[in-house]
Amino acid sequence: MQYAVTVLNGLALGAILFLIAVGLSLVFGIMDVLNLAHGAVYLVGAYVAVALIEGHASVAGFVAAVLVAALVGGLAGAALAGMSIPVRGHLDQALLTLGTALIITELISEFFGNEVRSVAPPPGLDASVGLFGQAYPAYRLALVVVGVVVAVGLHLLLERTRIGATLRATVADRQMVEAMGIRTRRLVISVFAAGAALAAVGGVLAGPVLGAQPGLDDTVLLLALVVVVIGGLGSVRGALLGAVLVGQVQALGVALLPDQASFLLFAAMAAVLLLRPAGLLPARGPAHA
Amino acid sequence: MDVPMPKSSRARRRSSSMVIAALLTGLATACGGSAISGEQPASQAAGGPATIGLVVPKSGVYAPLGADMENGFKLYLDQHGGKLGGKEIDLKVSDEGEGPQTGVPAATKLVTQDKAGAVVGIVNSATALGLRDTFIESKVPLIIANAGADDVTTSGGSPYIWRTSFTNNAVGASLGAEVAKQVGGEPVYLITADYAAGKEMVGGFKKAFEDAGGKVAGEAYTPFGTTKDFQPYLSKIKGTGAKAVFCFYAGAEAVGFVKQYDQFGLSGDLPLFGTGFVTEGAVLDAQGAAAVGTQTSLHYSDLIDSPKNKEFVTAYQAAFKEAPTVYAVQAYDAAAVLDAALAKAATTDGEAISKALAEIGAVDSPRGTWTFDAEHDPEQPYYLRKVEERSGAYVNALVSELAKG
Amino acid sequence: MSPADTNAADTNAADTNAADTNRADTNAADMKAASMRTVMAVPSVVRGRAGRLLVPLAVVVVLAALPLVLGAYPITLASRVLAFALLVVSVDILTGVTGLPTLGQVAYFGAGAYTAALVGIHWTSNAAVQLLAGVLVATALALATGAIVVRTKGIVFLMVTLAVGELTHQVAASWTAVGGTNGLAGIPPISVLPGGPALTLSGFVYWWVLAVFVVVFLLVARAMRAPFGRTLRGIRDNEPRLRALGQRTYSAKLAAYGLAGAVAGAAGTLWTAQARFVSPTDLGFDVAAFALLSVVIGGAGSLWGPCLGAALVILVRDEVSDYVDGRGPLLLGIVFVAGVYLLPRVRAVLGRLRAREKGFP
Repeated sequence: MQYAVTVLNGLALGAILFLIAVGLSLVFGIMDVLNLAHGAVYLVGAYVAVALIEGHASVAGFVAAVLVAALVGGLAGAALAGMSIPVRGHLDQALLTLGTALIITELISEFFGNEVRSVAPPPGLDASVGLFGQAYPAYRLALVVVGVVVAVGLHLLLERTRIGATLRATVADRQMVEAMGIRTRRLVISVFAAGAALAAVGGVLAGPVLGAQPGLDDTVLLLALVVVVIGGLGSVRGALLGAVLVGQVQALGVALLPDQASFLLFAAMAAVLLLRPAGLLPARGPAHA
Repeated sequence: MDVPMPKSSRARRRSSSMVIAALLTGLATACGGSAISGEQPASQAAGGPATIGLVVPKSGVYAPLGADMENGFKLYLDQHGGKLGGKEIDLKVSDEGEGPQTGVPAATKLVTQDKAGAVVGIVNSATALGLRDTFIESKVPLIIANAGADDVTTSGGSPYIWRTSFTNNAVGASLGAEVAKQVGGEPVYLITADYAAGKEMVGGFKKAFEDAGGKVAGEAYTPFGTTKDFQPYLSKIKGTGAKAVFCFYAGAEAVGFVKQYDQFGLSGDLPLFGTGFVTEGAVLDAQGAAAVGTQTSLHYSDLIDSPKNKEFVTAYQAAFKEAPTVYAVQAYDAAAVLDAALAKAATTDGEAISKALAEIGAVDSPRGTWTFDAEHDPEQPYYLRKVEERSGAYVNALVSELAKG
Repeated sequence: MSPADTNAADTNAADTNAADTNRADTNAADMKAASMRTVMAVPSVVRGRAGRLLVPLAVVVVLAALPLVLGAYPITLASRVLAFALLVVSVDILTGVTGLPTLGQVAYFGAGAYTAALVGIHWTSNAAVQLLAGVLVATALALATGAIVVRTKGIVFLMVTLAVGELTHQVAASWTAVGGTNGLAGIPPISVLPGGPALTLSGFVYWWVLAVFVVVFLLVARAMRAPFGRTLRGIRDNEPRLRALGQRTYSAKLAAYGLAGAVAGAAGTLWTAQARFVSPTDLGFDVAAFALLSVVIGGAGSLWGPCLGAALVILVRDEVSDYVDGRGPLLLGIVFVAGVYLLPRVRAVLGRLRAREKGFP
C-alpha cells in the first residue's frame, strides 16, 4: 500500500510523457526525421498556458489555452516539416531541428523572461483528494484519464480508419505507398503538425505540474527521446509502453532506490537498448517483418 | 581539365609566405601585447577611469539572478553619479552563462584582456572555484556577489578573493538553533538537491541544529536539476515520523518542491523550513499560496524596517518596478565595498584595490551593518522570515533577527 | 533478440546510408586531397607532394606564431578552441568516418581531464605524464564501454552513447573525491620538461596544446588514410557488404571506438592544462551536443572541417555572445539553421573545384 500512490503518480507522469513522445515517435516513423525541436514546441505550449492562464484559473481559460496551443503547435509542426523535407541525412536534420529549437527557446525567453512561471490547474481540479490515506492532487488523476483517452483515441484512429491504415503503411514502406499513387507529402506534413500539436497541448496540460521555464524543453526532449527509443521508434504502442515505464522509473524506481536516483533513467534505457536495440514494441510492417 | 599555371611554384610559395607575413603583421597591430612576455596588467593611471568588470548570468537558468544583480550594481553606480570612490568607472558587463564553461572565460577575459581593476559578480559556485587561481595569480580582486561554496574562501583567505554574499554553511547554520527551539525535541527531516551547495547548506544546518539539541529524522538528496516530481520523497518523509522539514532548493526546483509539499498534504502537518533562497524573488510568485507559512533564514528581506533599507527599496522600486531581492543587495553592497576601497586606493589597479579592500571596515547596507571576516566572507546578521499573503501578494515577512550561533 | 528485430535495424541503417551516400563520396575525396588549400581560398593549383604539404604547414606556422603577436586572452581562447577541436576530431572518427553518431565522447574527454587534474594535484605537473595517464584511462574506459556500445548503430547508438555520457557526468557530479558539482580547482600549472619550470604564461601552455593537437591530428589523419580508415568508411557506407566479404566489422568498430576514446582523452588533458580547472559541466550534454554539431557543420568525415566547426561554435558561444548581450544561443541557432541550407552549396562548389583540379569536369 505504501507504494500505491507512487505507482499512480508514475502513471500521471507517464501520461504527460506519452502525449509528448507519441508525436516525436510518429514523425520519426513516417519521415525518418528525429525532431529535436520537439521539446521547444512543448515549451511553446507551456508558455501559451502561462500567457492565457497563469494564476487566473478558469475552465474556459484552460480550454482556450489547449486550443490555442494545438493551433500554434500544429502550425509550428507544419513549418518544421516544410523545413525538414528537403534536408537529407539524420545529422543535417539534427543540426536543423536543434538550431530551430535554440532559436525558439531564445525568442521565448526574450518575450517572457527567464523566471520560473507556474500555471494554475482549472477550478474543480485544483484541490487534493484523499487516496489510500494520503492527500493526492486531483489534477494528476485527471492527467491519467486524459492519457488513457488520447491513447485509446490514437489507437482507434490508426487501427480502424483509412487514414490510419495509410499512415501505418507509410511508416512501414513509404516508397510502396507512393507507388500506389497516394500523395504522402500531405500526410507527412499532417503527421508532423499533429505530433507537434500534441506536444504543445502536452505543454499546457503539464503546466500545472511542471510549470514553464527556459531549459525545461531540454529536460522534456531528453525524456521523450528516452521514451521513444525504449518503446521503439515509429510505434504508438511503443511510445505508450515507454512512457509508462519511464514514468515508473522516475516514480517507483526513485522510491525504491533513492540513492541511485540520478543514474536510474539512463541506466534503464541503456539496459533496454542493449537487450532489444529496436525497442520493446517496434513499429510493424512488411519491410520490417 | 588542367588549367594552365600562371606562376612558377617558387613564386607561389613566396606569395603564400607574404600572405602569412601580412596576416601576422595585421594581428600584431590589431592586438598588441604578447602572450609570452609575462607582463602584469597595466597599472591604471591615478586620475583615469577605473575599469570594473561585472560578470553575471544573462543567459541560462540563472539569468533572473543575473538581472537582479546587474540592477543592484547599476543602481548604486547611478546613485553615485557613475563614480566609485570619486573615480570615473568604466563598467564592462559580461555574460556568465550557466556554468564554468562560459563563466570562466568571460571573467578571465575581463582580467587579461580588459585589464579590469576588479571583477564583481559570479553566481555559480563551480565558476567561482574555477576562477580562484586566475585572480590570485593575476593579483586582481574578485568580489563574489553570490556564489556560496565554502571552499572559495575558507581554504586560506587570499587577499584577492572577497565575498559580499554568504557561505552556504553559514546560511544553513543560521536557522539551526531556531528550528530546534520551535520543534521542541521532535525529529526534523532534511532534504535538498544532490549537489555541493545543497550538501553544504544542509550540513551547516544539521550541525547547528544538533548542537542545539535537535534530532534528525532522515536525509534525502534528490538528483540535481532533473527532479521534477518529489512525490516519492514526500511519501517517504511521512513514513519517518518527522514533525518538520528543512530544505534547500533554488529556481524551478524550489517552485516544484514547495508546491508539491502543499499538494501532497504535508504543509498542513509538518512546518517547512529552509534557507531563504527557497522563497526568494520570482520563485515566490510562482509558488503563490503553496508557500504560505514557510519559514526561512536569510541575510536580507525587503521588509527590514530600517531607514537605510527603506530608502534602498524605494529607489530600487522606482528604477526597476519590482521589489529588490537578496541578489540585488549582494551586488549593491559589492558596489558599496568597491566605492569605499577606491576612495582609499592610490591607483585603480588590482593590487591597490585589494589592499584597500582590507581597510574599509564596516559596511552600512540595506541588510544591516556587516564586515568582512578573516576569510573575507561577510560577518552579517541573519533574519527569520515567514511567507505571508499581504494584499494579494506573497512576501517574506520579517519575524526576527536570528541569534548568532 | 528475434531475427525480425535485426532486420528492422539493418533496414534503417541501409536507408540512412542511401541518404548519406552523396556526402560520403565527397568526404572520401576530402580525405585524399588534404584540402586545406580550398579553405584558404588560394585558387590553388599546387600539385605534388610538396604542394600538398605547403598549406597545412603554413597553417601550423601561423598557429605557432600566434603567441608572439596575440595577448594573453586570445591565446587562452585559442588553446580552448584547439582542445575542443580535438574532442570534435574524436567525435568525427566515429560519426563522420565510421557513421556512428555519438553523444558519448564527453565521457572519455572527462576521464582524460579529471585524470590529468588528479595527476597534477597529487603527483606531478609534468604535462607529458598527465597526457599519458589521461589517454590510458580514457582508452581503457572507451574499450570497456565500447565492447557493448558498438553492437548498436544509428539512433540507438546515439542514445546509448548519450546514456554513457550522462552516466559519466552523474558519476563526476556525485563523487565527492573529485569535487562533486564544484569540480577540481587548485591544479598547478603544467611543466613540459622533467623538473622544468612551471608554464604560467598562456603562450607556453598554448604551444604545448598546439604541439599535442598537431601530433594527434596527424596520427589520426594517417590512420584514416590507412586500410583501417578504409574499413571504417566501408562500415559507414555499407556494413553488411563488408561482413559478407568476411570482414570482422565488430573489432574494427571497437578499435575505432578505442582510438576515438584515446583522442578524446588527450583532448581532456589539454582542456585541463589550459583551464587548470575541471568540473562536471565540462562533460555535460551541452558539450556533447555542440561537439556533434561542430562535426556536422564542419562536414562529417573530413578531419579539418569539424575543427573549423569547433572554432566557429566556441567563438560564437564565448566571444560573439559578449557583444549581443547574452544572446549567444540565439546566434548559434541561426548559424546552425543557416549552415544546413548553405553548406550543401558550399560543398558542391568545393566539389566542383576539386573535380576541376583533378582534371575531369
